[in-house]
Amino acid sequence: MAYNIKSWGAFKDYQSTCYRNYVEGYGGLRCMGSTWSPLAPLKGLGEDVFVIGGEPHAASKAGTFPKEARDDIIAAETAGLGFHSCSYLKLFVGEVVRDKIGITDGTITDGYPKPDFMWTTHLCSQHSKWYQEISRLMGGIPIYAIDMIGGGNAEKNPKIVNYVSNQIEEGIHWMQRVTGREFSDELFIKAVRNEIKVLVLWGNICALNMHNPAPLDERRLIALFPPAVVDRTTDETVRLYEGLLKEVRHMVETGQSVSPDQRHRIVYFGLAHTYGHPEMSRILRDAGAEIVASVYTFGTAGNFKGIVDGKWTWEPIDPTWVDELDLSTRRKAITELVKIVLGWPTWQGVRSWWALESMAQAMITEYNADGLLLAPSRSCETDFRNGYVGMQRMFKSKIPTVEYDSDQVDVRKMDLPGAKRKTELFVQLMEAHKKGGVC
Amino acid sequence: MMKDSNSIIEYFQHITDHTQEYAQSLQSKGHLVAGYMCTHVPEEILYAAGIVPVRVLSSHDSQAMTRSYIHETYCSFSHDCAYRGLTYYDFFDLIVTGSSCIHMGEAFNTWVRFAGFKEKSFLISYPHIIHTKPAAGFIVESFKEFKQYLEDIVHKSITDEDIERAIKIYNHTRRLLIQLWEFLRYKESPITGAEVAIVTLASQLMEKKEFNQLLEELIQKLQSVPRKNLPGVRLMVSGGACDDLRIFDLMEKLDNSASLVFVDTCTATRYFWFEVPEDRTDKLQTIAEAYIARIPCPAKDNFPGTGEKKRFRFIQQFIEDFKPDGVVLLYQRFCSPQPMDIVGLKPILNNLGIPSLELELDTTLPITQFQTQLETFVNIITGVAS
Repeated sequence: MAYNIKSWGAFKDYQSTCYRNYVEGYGGLRCMGSTWSPLAPLKGLGEDVFVIGGEPHAASKAGTFPKEARDDIIAAETAGLGFHSCSYLKLFVGEVVRDKIGITDGTITDGYPKPDFMWTTHLCSQHSKWYQEISRLMGGIPIYAIDMIGGGNAEKNPKIVNYVSNQIEEGIHWMQRVTGREFSDELFIKAVRNEIKVLVLWGNICALNMHNPAPLDERRLIALFPPAVVDRTTDETVRLYEGLLKEVRHMVETGQSVSPDQRHRIVYFGLAHTYGHPEMSRILRDAGAEIVASVYTFGTAGNFKGIVDGKWTWEPIDPTWVDELDLSTRRKAITELVKIVLGWPTWQGVRSWWALESMAQAMITEYNADGLLLAPSRSCETDFRNGYVGMQRMFKSKIPTVEYDSDQVDVRKMDLPGAKRKTELFVQLMEAHKKGGVC
Repeated sequence: MMKDSNSIIEYFQHITDHTQEYAQSLQSKGHLVAGYMCTHVPEEILYAAGIVPVRVLSSHDSQAMTRSYIHETYCSFSHDCAYRGLTYYDFFDLIVTGSSCIHMGEAFNTWVRFAGFKEKSFLISYPHIIHTKPAAGFIVESFKEFKQYLEDIVHKSITDEDIERAIKIYNHTRRLLIQLWEFLRYKESPITGAEVAIVTLASQLMEKKEFNQLLEELIQKLQSVPRKNLPGVRLMVSGGACDDLRIFDLMEKLDNSASLVFVDTCTATRYFWFEVPEDRTDKLQTIAEAYIARIPCPAKDNFPGTGEKKRFRFIQQFIEDFKPDGVVLLYQRFCSPQPMDIVGLKPILNNLGIPSLELELDTTLPITQFQTQLETFVNIITGVAS
């Protein structure tokens, strides 16, 4: 019997509250930017800094208001953004163009709330350009983009760690200037520990899927990581994820799963398309196949041991390690934060094909996969394209491997019938493989 | 000494058409040859090491082969550059790039993973935003690593004197190229925009001393030939990498008259429109600062604090200097940073009263499509559209 996550409601409430706080403002500061940014520096300005992040907000808007989301994308295209641009970007910009905001509590508010400032990152060719465009549309919002140069094992490279840390130091001075607020190291350091703790806890939760049956499936993973993405700096997020870890550990101990029929275990590379297209998951589920591991859900807001002795491992980091971190000065706290953020698997894969291949190899082995599903998103240039090509070459003779194009939110870019056919084929391939046939 | 300016231009054209043959001829003369994929590579350091940098440009061939290596939603320029590695350029001694846009990064990866360059490749870690205060220090560190790597290859140390000599040779190239483009500022010019684009492209492929000598000769001859009226509408191009010289040729051969007067791309003026200060003590620091101060690539252009796109200032200055009647906003299909810039650039052009046309390039499109669009654009500018 399928297990129901007890803390589900608390997770949904947290996500909606974060967005509600941004919409209402409540006399605090509104900040816009990628939530792939180190967020703790914002909290040095006060706990009333409310964040809205491009990718998670666009994803949740598409999930909550599919038709509105399509209108947002078209509005952005009418305003000049190209068809081939990132569809998260277009959805996000489209809301600003249409001057209304829809959030996960099911409300749509007229008049897009203007941020006080923008704090974001840049790594792919257009990541910070989203916010440049929104700043322009809104008449000039102060914007600070951090160059998150990375790839491979950036968090272990002192040159890169110092470079990113120096930018954050500069950024803290900049935030003080543009907001007129004093920066509290005490609040900052507390937020850093929370941020690192949440990322490590999520890594631990994901790693429990190595067990058979895996306690969580892809759809549940996608739905449970938003608090870690939307705002992971608060005491409440730490409590949420500590509670979830305890609950999922109990599921493992008692052999329970949200989706217990797991004849085939799948490792998945791609964005959240199975969330946007439930029919894909249904084909898999009907055949007793489940996605048990994916870089996107694990690595967008989760940390693992990463590269150890030259090889990637998805083994989790002991959460007590976070409690022992020396964060006694601003610089030490920044450095530890930078190391953890640079260590995200998603960052590592964007600029490093060899790290991505190593991640895939480890994920297939450690999660005991029966199949590899590759679904690159057509409008995400950073979605490990070359890595996919390499993975097909590496794995197709080892385990059943299928690739089709997807898109995170723009259905116009996805060949749904073709993708469904390939998914069915994938299931049959895994079945044949299990019976001793060739891949 | 060539007999006239046309012969020299034809020679440059020959090199752009036969880059493989030219690069091999350098090797046969005893030079080490390095392919480089992005203008963020400090050619001065390669040159100081005694290695001739040759830019990897498009082959303008079908993408059928490269689609097994790079996804179809990557621009055709990156596909073409990857194709070069998989086919023609296996003889290169080295392949180098600086971290630039994602698409060109994948082209580089294709060389490294599948074209046999794994043991003879170097990726210069380069900031993705060049205007941050810590960027210069980071670039200097990366240049030091690159210099060390090259020293190991050539088995000798690269001295400050070697680098200074290279800086001066490269600055000379830049000054000569600016001098050449300056002809197009005026209504009458001894050379056309399409021809200037040929010379500029050749500069990215040739050994610089040889190039400088020929370009000096060309400029000398051009100064003495009668200037001709640059006919029709004056067109400026602004956008991403475009080494397909047929596009520029097409602009000057439309049914209605037009002349190309400026090209703001990384395969044209963004390549050379800057100088590295000479005779400074810290050579790598000086090169790093110069590369930061140049016209930025749209993928790296985000001024901390304001989010300003610094490139737009340069574009406005070029418009003032070269007085185009219209701007062709040209980019490769699937490119992300260029079209994102166009959204912000168009209102600026509108304010200046300069009409613009977006031209999305792709090797799979027939040239007649571009011709129709360009002719219509020229019609709109001249106001003769029916």
